[in-house]
Amino acid sequence: MQSIINSIVANRNLIIYLILSFISFNFLYINSSLHYNEIIKTATYISGKSSFLSSSINSYFNLKDKNQKLIDENLKLKKIELEYKNQIIEYKSLESNSIINASVIFNSINKSKNIIVIDKGTNGGVDEEMGVITSKGIVGIIKSVTENYASIISLLNTDLKVNAILKNSSTIGSVTWDGLNSKILKLNDIPLSSSIKIGDTIVTGGMSFYFPKGIPIGTITNYDNSSLEGYYEIDVSIFNDFSSLSNLYILERTDNDEIKILLND
Amino acid sequence: MIRELSRNIFFYTTILVFQIFVFNQINLLGFITPFLYLIIFIHYKTSYNKTILIFLGFITGIIIDLSMQTYGCHTFATITICYSRTWIEKYSFGVNSNLPSAMISGTQLINRLIFFGIIIFIHSSIYYSLIYFNIELFWTIVLNIIINSIITFIMIWLISQLISNK
Repeated sequence: MQSIINSIVANRNLIIYLILSFISFNFLYINSSLHYNEIIKTATYISGKSSFLSSSINSYFNLKDKNQKLIDENLKLKKIELEYKNQIIEYKSLESNSIINASVIFNSINKSKNIIVIDKGTNGGVDEEMGVITSKGIVGIIKSVTENYASIISLLNTDLKVNAILKNSSTIGSVTWDGLNSKILKLNDIPLSSSIKIGDTIVTGGMSFYFPKGIPIGTITNYDNSSLEGYYEIDVSIFNDFSSLSNLYILERTDNDEIKILLND
Repeated sequence: MIRELSRNIFFYTTILVFQIFVFNQINLLGFITPFLYLIIFIHYKTSYNKTILIFLGFITGIIIDLSMQTYGCHTFATITICYSRTWIEKYSFGVNSNLPSAMISGTQLINRLIFFGIIIFIHSSIYYSLIYFNIELFWTIVLNIIINSIITFIMIWLISQLISNK
């Protein structure tokens, strides 16, 4: 114990220097958006590189699971194909999208602002603000991109708000995450006048640059209509299992630029 | 003792006031702002406590940062020169470095030039690297470091001569 105290006293200048450096960098990071963005970019690059090796080893041992998932995905695609043939086209707006395939190399679900890193970057055609989905439903939005990697703001991030509708009644709301349970989202802005029931499906509303209409989000598991503000408080169970994401699809909305030009005019 | 302390506080305050109200407003050629306040860390006597010097650097850096809206760039640069001053002294003055209070008057001119130069150069390098924070602007950063170091050096040298003559 004595020797620990002695070494702290002997190195007090170094310790004070490191603490004060940390404080001044924190000051810089919080207040300057230039430094914030550069640090985030570097962090994305480093975490991408470092996670790549471990994820490639993992992915080899997970081949069996992956095959099963691909089979499930094929089944789902087959169903969609059939729906197309029957003229029940729910994914119509997907026509204006082209899709990029990517694998997850870093993923977290235990923080309040979760981030996913994928192995595709600007070289693979990925750009900022693209929507990301899986065969089961939506995942998040691309936040920053380097040449070979990109980071995604996960749906499990308290900063993200996604436009959503009730599949049956087309009532418009928005889903957010409250940072507590990684399987439950909150659906907001649904007025008490609309009728909902447990088990109703929530899909994307299409009123954003990122996602076309009709991509699944989850189902209603619980709701509370006693709020005084005139809106339901709804819990939505997510279709995607965020703890085992592997293959993702990135949506490139080709009509985005046109919409932005219209908005700017 | 109290006389020395009050003299140091007066010196410190005067330099800070000059830096904030006069030198921060100077913008030669659009990018040169002399950092006169580095004179505080150059004239800090070798016999004084080094830990206090680091805190002094931190407080000074924060004040300058708040007045110039540079958010921590000055703070990091100043605490770095304060922390590394022991080595800079050893490098510049060699065996004489632990002679108390002999910093300005009793040393060789070349040693003083090296000491002033290293402190100013390290500070400018850190400050401009942080301010631009972009490797693509490498040559702009280098140009800024060199020109600003030279101007700051001349200012500090002249003012040091004035002080020591008194």
